[in-house]
This record gives sequence, structure tokens and C-alpha cells, in this order.
Amino acid sequence: MRWTGNIRFLFLFPAVVWVLAFTVFPLGYSLYLAFFKIEQKIEVKREKVPIVDEQGKVILDDQGQARTKNVVIKQETNVATFIGAENFKRLISDPQVKEAVLVTLLFVSFAVPLELIFGFLLAILFNQHIFGRPLLRSIMILPIFATPLAVGYTFFTIFYEVGGPLAWTGIPFLSNPSGALFSVILVDIWQWTPFCFLVFLAALQSVPDELYEAAHVDGASRLAMLTQVMLPLLKPTILIVLLLRLAEALKFFDIPFSMTGGGPGVATQPFSLLAFRTGLRFFDLGYASAMAYALLAATMVVIMLFFRRLRESYD
Amino acid sequence: MIEAAKKNDGLSGAFLSLAAVIVALFFVFPIYWAFSQSLRNPLDTFTVAGLGIPWLHFTPTLSNWTDQLGTPETSQALINSTFISVSAAVLALVLGTSAAYAIARFRFERWKNRDITVWFLSQRVLPPVATVVPFYLTMRALGLLDTYLALILINATFVLPFVVVILRQTFLDLPVELEEAALIDGANHWGAFWRVALPLAAPSMAATGLIIFAFTWNEFLFAVTIGSDKAITVPVHIAGAIDTRGVQFWFMGVRAMTAIIPPVIIALIAQRYIVRGLTLGAVKG
Repeated sequence: MRWTGNIRFLFLFPAVVWVLAFTVFPLGYSLYLAFFKIEQKIEVKREKVPIVDEQGKVILDDQGQARTKNVVIKQETNVATFIGAENFKRLISDPQVKEAVLVTLLFVSFAVPLELIFGFLLAILFNQHIFGRPLLRSIMILPIFATPLAVGYTFFTIFYEVGGPLAWTGIPFLSNPSGALFSVILVDIWQWTPFCFLVFLAALQSVPDELYEAAHVDGASRLAMLTQVMLPLLKPTILIVLLLRLAEALKFFDIPFSMTGGGPGVATQPFSLLAFRTGLRFFDLGYASAMAYALLAATMVVIMLFFRRLRESYD
Repeated sequence: MIEAAKKNDGLSGAFLSLAAVIVALFFVFPIYWAFSQSLRNPLDTFTVAGLGIPWLHFTPTLSNWTDQLGTPETSQALINSTFISVSAAVLALVLGTSAAYAIARFRFERWKNRDITVWFLSQRVLPPVATVVPFYLTMRALGLLDTYLALILINATFVLPFVVVILRQTFLDLPVELEEAALIDGANHWGAFWRVALPLAAPSMAATGLIIFAFTWNEFLFAVTIGSDKAITVPVHIAGAIDTRGVQFWFMGVRAMTAIIPPVIIALIAQRYIVRGLTLGAVKG
């Protein structure tokens, strides 16, 4: 029971054009850049410029010539040289890339599953009428919406190894490479377990009570209830949460930027931070674009894995 | 679970409440810590023992707050962030609501409605780092670096998929009969949308607006790339708090709190819509 008629395009097109202009165009542009070596050249020239007074009239000297002053003119020019697939080849052999990929993979494969597991367990634990549950739900919203950059710096002060609140543990939260990676994962778990919890709790509460009742009457144990009733019911939700978390975790940027600066060394520098630094700190724009495309490809793989499921939920 | 099981006997009820308190403390602690730091004298920063409870462990002072909020940079960052977030939210709502209506109510044979939805949604999943370099170059060529406009444009783009996906569901949940009645009474599709559907979708639009305001407020990658001075936002301002003398923890506490408070309050207001919003409408909360 859906309408047709050409006015539908008028409703839809502004947003489509917008996305084409600000997402698809930059993506195309960056694919183009990925095949170039872009060098920034700064030319400094000195020029004699006539001096003018407040009325804009040229001031003349004794001989009737215009008085001049020297002005330094800085000209930035980008020189782009087509180098074919050179940037992509460089990606494969670059040890920095290798380390950043390793950091990203370690981060994703620890943080995401733990967030889902903790979120799921908490949701099951609190899927009952206990005193103060609305308050608990409100509290769980705080980490999700707390500015990630502020969170990173706050955890920097918490993990501070001299005089910080956790200094008594003696754990090298920031100074040791593995310790720092652990800390970064811990912060992500702190920030995103609540998200998993809230979504799973919402899904559990949309399950009709009769289902639990029927299982209970059939004499199902608590474990059977969990594995044979709850898990199958929550499967679509779990997949959506997993997709969203995987996609977000691949973008991971703010926390290492603020808390560890990617360090010590490059121990907590994920791929997105490396790409950002390559492009916008060292201005190796072509290489950074190639990196961005590699990350894009990885994200596309994740999306494709879930694409069918995702489409079904928007029927 | 049947009612009897749901109510719990006394002992497991007490255990659950205790567990809830511990969980709540764990998730509140970092924010509390930032707040506690913001109330300390520089001298108390590293000498305070334990949990840093004001009055018990140190004498709190508001001087960090008055110092920081009094600086022109801080007020500039707060004004900028507010203006950019509001503008991006309004822009995304204008563009996204009508697109959502189109997907919910009309049939697009060639592209299929659900594929259009997934296309919008996939924009959200893309890594922003993939577009940051070309966007930076484009804005530099247009002379728009360090302007509100550049940040409004890009943030509106990022939050647009949220609007489309959430409001699509809102319109689907509305009874189509009301709009059909309006059409029979001689209204055109625009009138049915503007006078019938839109007022009914207003609460959902408001909640979506709040959530995407918070997203833009928290955005950092593009903010630090585009806005350095005139268009500095709150997160970029925080990042600037590290100088050659190191992190000044007491000021950092204030800045962290000023960044965190607005989006968190907004999220609490829009609580009912959060699950739907964060799962892009895939899970109804």
C-alpha cells in the first residue's frame, strides 16, 4: 500500500544529492589522490611593494619615486605526480602499517567480544524488577554520550602512574606497550558495554512473558532457558550490535589520540590514527588516501558479511 | 519468567541490588573523577589519597571553574560547538525527514525502498578517516578552512543517516489512513506530509534532533582538521589544554566536565529514543 507519483523524488532527492556531494564525491576524490604522490612545496618570494598611506595614496620619496617595502610572499603549491599503484604497494611493505594493523586487530578482537559478552550478562542479570533499575539505565547512558576526547583525557589522569587513583596497583597503565593497549581496550569497554547492555535489555523486554512462562512450565533449567530461549530470540539483535560495534571499532581514534597519543612508541596507534597523521600532520596526502581506502575495504567486508541480515530488518 | 520468578526472593534481590550498585559505581567513577579533579587546588592533585571525595579528602574550590569559564577561548569554544551542533542538526532534520517520508510512504520500484535505506545507513558505517583528506583539500580550495560552514556541512552529512533511518520507522508507525483522508479531502502529498504527518512525527524529530546534536558536539576528527582557531569546538579546545608544562589536571577536569555535561543531559532527556537511535532503528527500545 505504497504511493507512487513523481513527487516522491522531490521528497527523496535533496538528501541523496547531499550524500553524493559530501560522501561519494570525497570518496571518489580520495581514490584519485591515492594514485598520486603529492608533495607540498612552499615557495618564498620577496617582492617590493609600494607603501601607501591611510587614504590609499602611494607615498613618494624625494626623487618622486614611489617608496617601497619588501614583502615576503609564501606560496604553497601541491605538486602531484602520477605514480600508479605505488602507494598501495608501499602499504604492503610499510612496517608502520603492519604495526597499526596489528594494534587495530588486537583492539577489535578483544574489545568488541568482551563488550558484547559483558553487555549480555548485565542485561540478563538486570532483566528483573529490582529496586533502582531505571536509575541504573540512566547511569549506563552516561559513558555512551560522554565526549570521547574528554573521556580519553580523564582516563589519562586516572591511569597516571605517579599519584593517580590506581597508582597503588603498580600496573604500568600507560608507560608499557602492552599495558597501554590493555588500558585503551579497557576504556573502550567502559564506554561501549553500556550500549550493548541497553540494546540487549530492550530486546529482552520485548520478549513476551508467555515465552518464559512456557519454558518454565516445561521444566527448562536456567541454563536451558538462556541457550534455548533467550539466545535464539536475541540472535538478530546480537548480530546488529556486533556489526555496529565492529564498524565503530575500526574507526577507533579519539581515545588513543587523547589518552596515549598512540604511544608509547606506536603501541596504541590504530590504523585510523596512522592515516590521519600521514595525511594531515605529515601531508603525505596520496599515501594517506591509499591508507583510507584500505580501511574502507576492511569496513566494506564487515558490512558485506551482515548485509543480507541488515536489509531484512528494513523491510 | 513468571511473576513469582520475576519478583525474586529476598536474598537474591539483595544480591542483585548490590550488583547494580557496583556496576553503577564502575560506570560513574571516571566522570566523578573528572569532577573531583576540577574542584582541587593544583597542590591537591597528586597528594589526595583514596577516592578524592570533596571535604573528606581535600577542601574543594571553585577557582578552576571560574578561571576556565572566564577565559574568552572557553566561551568561544562553547558558543562555536553549540552553534555548529544546532545548525548541523537542523540541516540534517530538514533533509532527512523528507527523505524518510519518501521511503516510508512511496514505492521506488527501480531501487527498492530497503536498499535506499541501507544505502543511507552505510554512510554511517564508513570510516570518517576515509573522507577527511579529500574534505580537507576541498575546503582548503574553497577557502573554508576554520569556518563554521565547513563543520556544519560535514556534521550534517554524518548525522543524516540517523535522521533518515529513525524517522522512516516513525512514519511507518503512524497510521497512513490520516494522510489518505487528507488526500481524499483534496490535499496534495506535500500538504499531507506538512499538515498531517509532520506534526505527529514532531516528538520523534525532537528526540532525534537532540541525539544528533550530541553526536556533533562530540565529533573530534573533522573538528581538529578543519577548525583550529575561529571555529574551534569544545573537544578541540580540550586537546589544546596540553601545553609544554604538561597536562594541568585541575583545568582538564573543568574542560572535561564542560564537554561531557551537555551531551549527557541531552541523552537523558531523549532516553526513550536512545536504543532505537543508536541501533539505527534496527532494535525498538
